[in-house]
Amino acid sequence: MSGTDGLAVATRGLRKRYGSRLALNGLDLSVPEGVVYGFLGPNGAGKTTTMRVLTGLIHSDGGTVELLGKSFKRGDRHRLFDVGALVESPTFYPYLSGRANLRALAASGAPVPSKRIEELLDLVGLGDRANDKVQGYSLGMKQRLGIAEALLSDPKLLLLDEPANGLDPAGIVAMRDTLKALAAGGKTVFISSHLLAEIQVMADVVGIIAGGKLVREGPLKELLSMEGVVKVRVRPNLTEAAIKTLAPLAKAEPLAETDRDEGWLSVHLAADRAEDVNQTLAGAGIYASGLESGTDLEMLFLELTGAQASGGEGAFVGLGALNGEQNGGASAGKGTAA
Amino acid sequence: MRLFVSGIRKLSRRPATFVTFGLLIGLLVLIVLAVGATANSNMGGGAGEGARGAAAKELLTFPGAYDRMLAFIIGLGGLFAMIYGAAIAGSEWSWGTLKSAVARGESRVRYMLLQFSSIAFMVAVGLVIAFVIAVVAAIVGAHLANVSISGLGDTATLGHLPERLLKGWFAVVEEAALGFTIATLARSQLAGIGAGIAFYFGESFASIFLPDVVKYMPFSVANAAVSTGSGQGLSSGGGAIASLPADQALVLVALWLVGSLFVASIFSDRVEIAG
Repeated sequence: MSGTDGLAVATRGLRKRYGSRLALNGLDLSVPEGVVYGFLGPNGAGKTTTMRVLTGLIHSDGGTVELLGKSFKRGDRHRLFDVGALVESPTFYPYLSGRANLRALAASGAPVPSKRIEELLDLVGLGDRANDKVQGYSLGMKQRLGIAEALLSDPKLLLLDEPANGLDPAGIVAMRDTLKALAAGGKTVFISSHLLAEIQVMADVVGIIAGGKLVREGPLKELLSMEGVVKVRVRPNLTEAAIKTLAPLAKAEPLAETDRDEGWLSVHLAADRAEDVNQTLAGAGIYASGLESGTDLEMLFLELTGAQASGGEGAFVGLGALNGEQNGGASAGKGTAA
Repeated sequence: MRLFVSGIRKLSRRPATFVTFGLLIGLLVLIVLAVGATANSNMGGGAGEGARGAAAKELLTFPGAYDRMLAFIIGLGGLFAMIYGAAIAGSEWSWGTLKSAVARGESRVRYMLLQFSSIAFMVAVGLVIAFVIAVVAAIVGAHLANVSISGLGDTATLGHLPERLLKGWFAVVEEAALGFTIATLARSQLAGIGAGIAFYFGESFASIFLPDVVKYMPFSVANAAVSTGSGQGLSSGGGAIASLPADQALVLVALWLVGSLFVASIFSDRVEIAG
């Protein structure tokens, strides 16, 4: 595979079909080494399928996978000795203690020194409850134990599916710090999550998939600065004039453009330029009745996956639609209002 | 080796181990003591009652009691072993623990086979303990029935016991493998146990109509492999027909065992693990 040097995970043209449903449709992921990579997508987008392929639980119908620079195919299970994974919900023997569960799992795959188990129990804050049976653990404690399981072999690559599930705020902060420290130490942390705010503060690089395809990937800061949006609302009879007025501003930014969105005009440019938009409009005698700007991941996510989210698996019907309105749903806008 | 030892550790703490073993021992002791306690009361009645009393006393008379206790353990124990095997294999799927091992790079086939090896080891331990308890229960029963235990030290019988126990273990392990494979195919504890029990009783029922076919089936060959030809005594084995010669049955036991594990291995290796 060419062009995959320095990548911890590289998939090219990954395809997977479940019956008539295409779960992965030519997925190309490039996960650099030593970063926290946020893997995002709406329900049914193919995140879990990707995780399963990466951990050898299922096999793709086509395409290639490289883990830590080496090809990963059926039969290459030893590649996973350097990979730690928490796929979907953590799994345990309920009648065994947390410590015994870690010991049981450590007997499979790569060898694990026994002192590593004690270190991990302390790391995830379960040292005091390590001898309790897992069936008595809370969801958050099970999640902590699941993270400890994933870290058993001191892996170079960590694949985590919704690791913050069930964790209390302190646990989330601790997990975040731990994962960031692991990445700082050269490990690669690949996190699939729905918690966009959490990914925003934790991830260095994000990949967003929808419909089994990658729709955007890159360093988070770069994406957010490029994909910022300023939304402005003007009177309907002034919309055309506002578009003409804002067009030069958009031209000034190579990536900026304008479009209509339910009475709002979206100007794609850095969010800190909301003031410029307002000033430009005012200069032309057009006064905004609303102004929003944002650079957060949620806005980017909804923008990129919006079409899939509205019709995708598990999509909610907006309150407006429940009330019989044509245009239900929530605004994605965030930030300052003028 | 790590997986095998870990498997034994897991099974030695698992409630299913104690429940299965406890049920077998409880039933065994209860029946033997009941037979011993009622043997004399059955002697005082008519001819039928007298015959039952005599049969009960014969059951508790050593050295024949060794074979009869073993036949009971292997008969009923076979059903329990099958349920046990199904519970262990099914839980690997139901609880998702196989998934975690595979995601760590463990070989699916190796994992499943070593899990089964652990079950086979536990069956061996259980069989020996159950046999010792059964012999003790038979001694107590004989005491209750005023039957002499002078045959307890019969050297010829005692000399054959290790071989009989080994064959019995092999037969029970084959039945455990069947439950293990059914649960693996079903990827569920409950489905595996349910299907295994249905198979067990289905085979018994089918032996009424298709004895020539059923004698080759797994429970029948397991019983035939350990049969001494002196009657089943307390045995409640699934196969009522045990007409195959013991040596031939033993070969079929091996084929069923290997075949079951082969199917479980191939299925585990090929199947997509989800959920």
